[in-house]
Amino acid sequence: MDEDYSTGSVDSDREMTRLWRTWRTVFEMLQDRGYEVTEEEVQIPLTEFRIKYADPMGYPDRNKMKIQARPSEAMAAKYTPLPSKSNPSPQPDCGTIYVEFCADASGVGTKQVRAFNHFVDENNFHTGVFITQTPISPSAVRLLGSLPGRVCEHFQEQDLLVNITRHELVPKHVLLSPQEKVRLLERYRLKESQLPRIQVSDPVARYLGLRRGQVVKIIRRSETAGRYASYRWVI
Amino acid sequence: MSSHKPPVRNSLPATHAASTVSAPKPKPTNNASRAPAKPSTSSQGPNEPSSDPRHLAIALHHAHRIQSQKDSEALILDRILDLITLPSSPTADPAAPSPADAHALKSALVPFQPSDYDNLIEERNIEGRCGYPLCPRPHRTENAFSTGANGSYRITWGAKGSGPGGRGRSMNIVPRESLEKWCSDECAERALYIRVQLAAEPVWERRAADVAGGQEILLLEEGRAAQSGQVNGKGKARSTDNPPSVRNVTGQLENLSMDVDSVGRGPGDVAGDMARLSVRDEGRAARALALERGDSVEGAWGDGRVGVCVRENDLGGAAAVAPRMGPGDDRGGSIEGYVPAP
Repeated sequence: MDEDYSTGSVDSDREMTRLWRTWRTVFEMLQDRGYEVTEEEVQIPLTEFRIKYADPMGYPDRNKMKIQARPSEAMAAKYTPLPSKSNPSPQPDCGTIYVEFCADASGVGTKQVRAFNHFVDENNFHTGVFITQTPISPSAVRLLGSLPGRVCEHFQEQDLLVNITRHELVPKHVLLSPQEKVRLLERYRLKESQLPRIQVSDPVARYLGLRRGQVVKIIRRSETAGRYASYRWVI
Repeated sequence: MSSHKPPVRNSLPATHAASTVSAPKPKPTNNASRAPAKPSTSSQGPNEPSSDPRHLAIALHHAHRIQSQKDSEALILDRILDLITLPSSPTADPAAPSPADAHALKSALVPFQPSDYDNLIEERNIEGRCGYPLCPRPHRTENAFSTGANGSYRITWGAKGSGPGGRGRSMNIVPRESLEKWCSDECAERALYIRVQLAAEPVWERRAADVAGGQEILLLEEGRAAQSGQVNGKGKARSTDNPPSVRNVTGQLENLSMDVDSVGRGPGDVAGDMARLSVRDEGRAARALALERGDSVEGAWGDGRVGVCVRENDLGGAAAVAPRMGPGDDRGGSIEGYVPAP
């Protein structure tokens, strides 16, 4: 039986476990953004993950790892812009999300990104998340953002190894809906440009998929007041 | 002018109030009071900043600039995607590219910055091709099992006699990735020869004249052909085995730390290239200096700003004569009329 524990199987075990943690973080991310995912999907145990996504050699098979999820009612409401004169019944600016794990171990360039963009466009997904093992080239990043009318994001597997929002020093970020944003600005008599800001490239903003112009409420623990809320404008 | 006097700045509130009353609704902003008054703006309320047509014009101007920047970035991305697939035939020779491919490359590279060119090389390497856009061969990859070395740096040796003091060989420690960008040292040289010709400023900041009538990009072979034609015309023979000094030519080559001097290269070539590059740099430097000084007339650069005319001082007609020996000078001569006793 000692033959089974050769270096190859230790390697594959390690990679499988790492990918399982990434996979769980992806589902937690989808849940936190407001997509419809079940509790079993989020808390998939390692053994079940291995049965589902391992190839005969024991290594993960990334080609099988694709996720689609639809936004929940609450999320659709949050992403619906306010009705205006020109657009009295606005549609929510969100839709089905598609997550793909790139199988290439190194050298991810425009070729893979173009195929991903094509797939997202053809199947009419609103949002695409492309997860690679290594950094992608600068032109590939530019190409990923160039799809008109769709949102494509990129993560590295190691970025999602742990869920950063579960860290004790990261406060809770809550996205405000357009109505809540208007109410906030009215209550404090502010223009949105007078709010503190948060970058789109901020790790938590990337995790939540925030877009320019939205406002997040950040809830911190305070020793004196119990809780303390601040607001930031995504820029 | 008579109806829109700017309010008089005065510390007395009464006079200040009187002066503001006499002026009908001055705009709250400073530049609005400097602007020529228009009847349409004065009729609108002061808390509508978007109603000023100049604000709209400024906003539109900046929006157009950002849009043109985005457009040119998209254009460069498209060009990179096109250039990945060059050359058109898999048996093309990078030393003698087909005219169509060479023309496609040169015209596509016009809006590029060196960093865009680096992106192109990276993309080609990801596709498994040599970084030089006209080379169909795969880039070299070292097999860690065959060489037994899997470090991230490699040592390259120069030609014989290239070491310090003309003895031994020069040694370079080079990151492995920069060696593996190309299929051979020749292709590395060709690619870097193009890289140093690219303009450093982004295309949306270049002037129209630079883009349209700028210097055409030369391939290494063309540059050499032009150079050797000149050298042969003067009847000079080229010696190809002298140690070249390409490493000194540009800092950019150094940054990439490619060992280009292992390729045999005549000193005549190098000197010619340097002259060509430096002449172009001088023109650019003169233009930059003129811009800094605020010169607008081109004719003023060439022959200086002040008419300088050198005139020799006239020293009279007498030519200088050497002094002669007087009587008694051999014994020391007189000291202010006193002749010391011998």
